[in-house]
Amino acid sequence: MARLRLGLFTLIVFIVSTFAPVAAQDAAPPITLTLAGYAVPREAYGDIIPLFQSYWQEQTGQQVIVLESYQASGAQSRAVASGFEADVIALSLQPDIQSLVDAGLVSADWKEDNDYQGFATQSLVVLAVRPDNPRGILDWADLAQEDIEIITPDPATSGGAQWNILAAAGAAQRGFVAGYEGESGGAKFLRALIGNIAVLDRDGRESFLTFERGIGDVAITYENEVYAGLAVGGEYSLIYPTSTILIENPVAVVDSYVDLHGTREVAEAFVNFLWSPDAQRAFANRGFRPVNPLVRVEYGIADADVEVTPDPQAAPAVVERNPDITFPAVTDLFTIAEFGGWSEARPAYFSEEGIFTQIIAEAQGG
Amino acid sequence: MRETEARSPVAIALIIGVLGYAALLFIAPLLAMINGAFAKGLEPLLATFQDPSVIHAFQVTLLLSFAAVVINTLLGLTTAWVLVRHRFRGRNLFDTLVDIPFVFSPVIAGYAMIVLFGRNGWLAPPLFPIVFAFPGILLAKVFVSLPFIIREVQPVLEALTPEPEDAAYTIGASRWTTFRRVVLPEIWTALLYGIVLTFARAIGEFGAVTVISGNIEGYTETATSFVFRALNDRNNTGAYGVSVLLCLFSVVILIAMNALRGRIIHKEP
Amino acid sequence: MTQIPLSYPTGQGAVAVKRAQAPSFGAWGLRFIALTYLGAFILVPLIVIQVQGVRFGLDVFWQSITRPEATSAILLSLYTSAIMAALNTVIGTLTAYVLVRYRFPGKRLFNMLIDLPFAIPTLVIGVMLVLLYGPQTPIGRFFDTTLDIQILFAVPGIVLALLLVGYPFVIRAVQPVLLQMDFSQTEAAQTIGASAWTTFWRVIFPALRPAIVTGALLSFARSLGEFGSIIVVAGNIPMRSQMGTVYVYTQVEAGNLQAASSVSMVLLLIAFGVTVGIDLLKWRRHA
Repeated sequence: MARLRLGLFTLIVFIVSTFAPVAAQDAAPPITLTLAGYAVPREAYGDIIPLFQSYWQEQTGQQVIVLESYQASGAQSRAVASGFEADVIALSLQPDIQSLVDAGLVSADWKEDNDYQGFATQSLVVLAVRPDNPRGILDWADLAQEDIEIITPDPATSGGAQWNILAAAGAAQRGFVAGYEGESGGAKFLRALIGNIAVLDRDGRESFLTFERGIGDVAITYENEVYAGLAVGGEYSLIYPTSTILIENPVAVVDSYVDLHGTREVAEAFVNFLWSPDAQRAFANRGFRPVNPLVRVEYGIADADVEVTPDPQAAPAVVERNPDITFPAVTDLFTIAEFGGWSEARPAYFSEEGIFTQIIAEAQGG
Repeated sequence: MRETEARSPVAIALIIGVLGYAALLFIAPLLAMINGAFAKGLEPLLATFQDPSVIHAFQVTLLLSFAAVVINTLLGLTTAWVLVRHRFRGRNLFDTLVDIPFVFSPVIAGYAMIVLFGRNGWLAPPLFPIVFAFPGILLAKVFVSLPFIIREVQPVLEALTPEPEDAAYTIGASRWTTFRRVVLPEIWTALLYGIVLTFARAIGEFGAVTVISGNIEGYTETATSFVFRALNDRNNTGAYGVSVLLCLFSVVILIAMNALRGRIIHKEP
Repeated sequence: MTQIPLSYPTGQGAVAVKRAQAPSFGAWGLRFIALTYLGAFILVPLIVIQVQGVRFGLDVFWQSITRPEATSAILLSLYTSAIMAALNTVIGTLTAYVLVRYRFPGKRLFNMLIDLPFAIPTLVIGVMLVLLYGPQTPIGRFFDTTLDIQILFAVPGIVLALLLVGYPFVIRAVQPVLLQMDFSQTEAAQTIGASAWTTFWRVIFPALRPAIVTGALLSFARSLGEFGSIIVVAGNIPMRSQMGTVYVYTQVEAGNLQAASSVSMVLLLIAFGVTVGIDLLKWRRHA
């Protein structure tokens, strides 16, 4: 009886101690950094984190453990707001960081002093079709055809989905979709497009996987996501529309949590590291368009009025260029400014009364 | 009803139909999954099982499920006892409550926890992190597997005649001794069956955990979360491999269920 | 005694409280523990959901459940669960009958496998189905191109997943009843010349009916809350292939907690109503 009690007691102590909070780490022992990312950059960060770990080890002699979590941008943002104590947050679009600013977790000046306005990577909204393109899809207008099945994620949770919808609407508004030009053309085109959506997945990754599994004729997705699929042997063709939106993905330090955990130094170092040439090359190798001008030149992205003089003193590149990745230009590239910025675009398209929400209710309701 | 040999064409047709349906419904998919796990050969599969994040995910799942079983056994037994043996106002209400986790979408359970213990939650700030940490996962597992032990033990308790216990009391046995020596042996099989069901349900829980754990890879990820993540990582071998392993656990649980079920049926008057 | 793991009546059939002297503290202590346990784990989430659902007033509550997407999701859940329950009733009864009545090779193994859907994580069930019936598999492609039926990511896939999840319910409800059935009645029926079918329909089936109904209703209630397998196999198009539980999940992830709560409440009330109905049926039988 006594032994049973002792055993029970030990068991309880053991179980309770498993849940004891992990105390904030002191300097010398390994430090833990939690990264909350949106869905698609998981492989890219998988490459960058070891680079950062050796960099930090060299600089401070300290080992850093990085815990990662990836899910839809909107969902991730909300998770952090409700108590997911991430130190660094890397999301698909700026408003998802803004909501954390509003929640008091990220300071309002998160992107000040940053040459890139807090954007670590860029991408484009592109189309992916089956290898021989049996439906002959070449541009946005083809998506409005009868009987085409479109795959795109759900804007309610996915940042990528919002980029997709705005790319379509913007292309039409700017007159690049035959038959749907002009202001009203955008909404009209969306109506046609939305009627053809076959599956609405939670995030960009799940959406593209659905396409890979054989559903749909065309997927609207990030350029980097198609590259990610191609890298592991996926079979589809990447199609660049004539007009598309420039995707810019922000990264920030979550001030409240880094101060709580005592990880500010490491977190800020990590975020700054993302703009270093090697990290940018790592991103580029996974299909994310780099923002660092030097790396942009290396990967063949021509920027009109930017003069880049390679620094002869710079450290040699650790990361080799992936020859399968190219970043062609598109005929017409616009940004979120086309819609007056996210503060206008989001409510206009994705709120309860937003254009997208309304159209979905109508189109599917029949 | 007595067993007979299947002779008539109707009988044979029925058997084939029934077995065929089962084959199509789950035996074939199960085989397909085993096939999928081995699709790239044995090497990648073994590599999966040696992957530290897989091992960790299983540790998390098994440890927390075990803890959930312990909690639900102790508290569930108590509850079954109280519901059967005590009379008080509102007892029937509480009794009906027990079925709720069975029909409650687990996602909502997870989300209720966030509302309670999350950053701006009703009971915030908690002493230690609950949501997006292990305690939250444990609570989720306790919730979804709550009804099984209670519902298995209740009818057996109800069917017990008072004489043996009364006899024990009259010879001076304490309540605890009476329970241990008179009642427990009677309900033991049902209790074990309930424990097995509880364990199965706790291991398999996904919906609540997905909302509440943050799915931090290699940390708060459970085995089922790992499967989900592996699918998203295009790591099919990993996804199918871990799924097959989970199924192996399920088969062991199945065998236990079957053995116990047989004993329960044979014990009936 | 049925072997379904849930929903037993209490109260009138309960054994009388022990007559021996027991310290009242112990009794109250136990009661406190039990009620706190149930209260904390069940009442509290229920209250949270309710409060979240109606926090902006009843009219907003009403609005959020009458929105087209919400209604469609709830109806899809009801519709698919009902189809599943109906199919399951027939197949489950036949399966139980076959298991009890006939000897055949592999019967013991088969009997054990029946419980597999209880034991496997629901997410794994979904993964299994996609692997065999997904659009790139031979079977999925066949259905798609030849019969123009899309299995997965459409309603048939949902029903398929629910059938798997609900498979054991009717079988395990009916089996014990069949096992304990009085054989003399069926023999009597057969000696007066009734065919096998008539015997089944007139003699066996009426005795099974309560168990069948219980099993079917349980599987129905279970399906309303099913999530893990559905999230993998359903298409999640609002108003076309989005189930109630997935709608709730999407709303939670999208931050519309009020909408998520209200639809959950509706689903919960329906499922709960069904389980109460099962309890009532049992009361009537025992009374």
